Amino acid sequence: MAQIVIEDLAIEYKKPNSDARFMAVEGISYSIEKGAFVTIVGASGCGKSSLLMALAGLIPLARGSVTIDGKTVIGPGSDRAVVFQDASLLPWRSVLGNVSFGLEMQRYGGGDLKERAMHYIDKVGLTRFADYHPHQLSGGMRQRVNIARALAVDPEVLLMDEPFGALDAQTREVMGDDLLDIWERDKKTALFVTHSIDEAIFLADEVLVMGKDPGHVKDIVKIDLPRPRTNDMYDSEQFNEYRKILRNHLAKDMADMRMQTVAEA
Amino acid sequence: MTIALDKPVAASASLRERFEKNRRTAISTLSVIVFLLAWQFLPMLGAVDIRLTSTPLRVLKTAMELVPTADFANDLRISGVEFLAGMALAIAVGIPLGLILGTSRTARLFIDPPLMAIYATPRLALLPIIIVWLGIGLASKIAVVFLGAVFYVLINTMAGVTDTDQRLVRAAKSFGATRLDIFIRIILPSALPAVMIGIRLGIGRGVLGVIVGEMFSSEAGLGNKIMTYGEAVRIDHLLVYTLFVSLCGYLMTTGARLIEERLRSWRPQA
Repeated sequence: MAQIVIEDLAIEYKKPNSDARFMAVEGISYSIEKGAFVTIVGASGCGKSSLLMALAGLIPLARGSVTIDGKTVIGPGSDRAVVFQDASLLPWRSVLGNVSFGLEMQRYGGGDLKERAMHYIDKVGLTRFADYHPHQLSGGMRQRVNIARALAVDPEVLLMDEPFGALDAQTREVMGDDLLDIWERDKKTALFVTHSIDEAIFLADEVLVMGKDPGHVKDIVKIDLPRPRTNDMYDSEQFNEYRKILRNHLAKDMADMRMQTVAEA
Repeated sequence: MTIALDKPVAASASLRERFEKNRRTAISTLSVIVFLLAWQFLPMLGAVDIRLTSTPLRVLKTAMELVPTADFANDLRISGVEFLAGMALAIAVGIPLGLILGTSRTARLFIDPPLMAIYATPRLALLPIIIVWLGIGLASKIAVVFLGAVFYVLINTMAGVTDTDQRLVRAAKSFGATRLDIFIRIILPSALPAVMIGIRLGIGRGVLGVIVGEMFSSEAGLGNKIMTYGEAVRIDHLLVYTLFVSLCGYLMTTGARLIEERLRSWRPQA
């Protein structure tokens, strides 16, 4: 049986400054096998982050259910850890303090907390920077801390909400490589929201394509590239095929968006 | 694994920058010297009445005589106790109340109208009624200092709490943080610099409160002496006390600012 089972999921938001509600996501059913790396793509506003936050247990469901290892998700839990976009590190804590934070919140009692935090800081290559504060680090380094913080609590499922969204293209590619390196070692189930088609293909076993109004599953694209992934794959025939499929899926949404921005201008 | 390093090395000031900084210091110092010279020599030239302005040297001489006296120490002690007690109360009430108001919207809505009403009233306009209630001794001055400072502490603490970055709260929640965890580990540290700003502003108001309170009605204290010497037109005595109060206010505010800067050293410099 799949590790994560999402059934008929709907998420509702209140419109700002009124009592009106709207559906961000509706009727999503999807299962994820243990150890799979799933990336989620879709136009802005298709509810991909909402879906991830629902899996994290950070927002309520309007309908449906999420179960992980047979347990229904009703809130945050130590079986999951979230890597957020930039600016979720505590600015007054050092790298070490930030990586320890998740462990502290989960009342970690399994031995030396500092040693364990340092182990994960080492994993993301920041040992020399353990005493630095977030504002002293580059964007890429901050996201390494973010990833180390999530890994340190040793979750079953890693939920990543556009973790590289604020980074430049080169840093992004390096981060993707390193993330896969780390992931290959213990193959945690990973969900990764992104705007980048290349990133989505490169990282994934499976790409979940979402459409909007309200957010729904448009397609599921299996990525049959061998692992470990290497950078020359970006130029392969197969990669190009996947690129075409995803671009086609997103083209209509992109056209809609273009209309909107033109209308707004 | 390779990492792009943005090394956080403090840029060493170039020669040009250092020169520019020295130039600024020199101009500021010059302005003080020009002022002191004018103050010293204009009365001597007969341009202004020396009985009304005194001179820096006279004030300095008076200060050397006055400051070591037991009388001066007594005034300083009285004003000091009034100020410190009032400030301590303001902090003891302002911070917890600010935290509660910052955390609870209901409490905020409930307490906002009376709070704003008192805040909008010049607190010194309450002085007569405070004296009617508490007399002309220590208590009324402590109350004035308290009223002057408490709103700054309270409102800044509240703002510090409500300005807490919700993304940090969400990240904490994702790791299973309890409400108490969030309060202690996220809200308190992120509100601390704002609390310190409140205390710094409160110090200024507290000094004002204690001096004006004493000038209005008291039997001793620095403000009492300022009033007495003012009425007797003994300008050099008056100025010794006035300048001493400024100095105290300046030192305390600067101290508070230093703590404030230390507390927010984790923030990127804007």
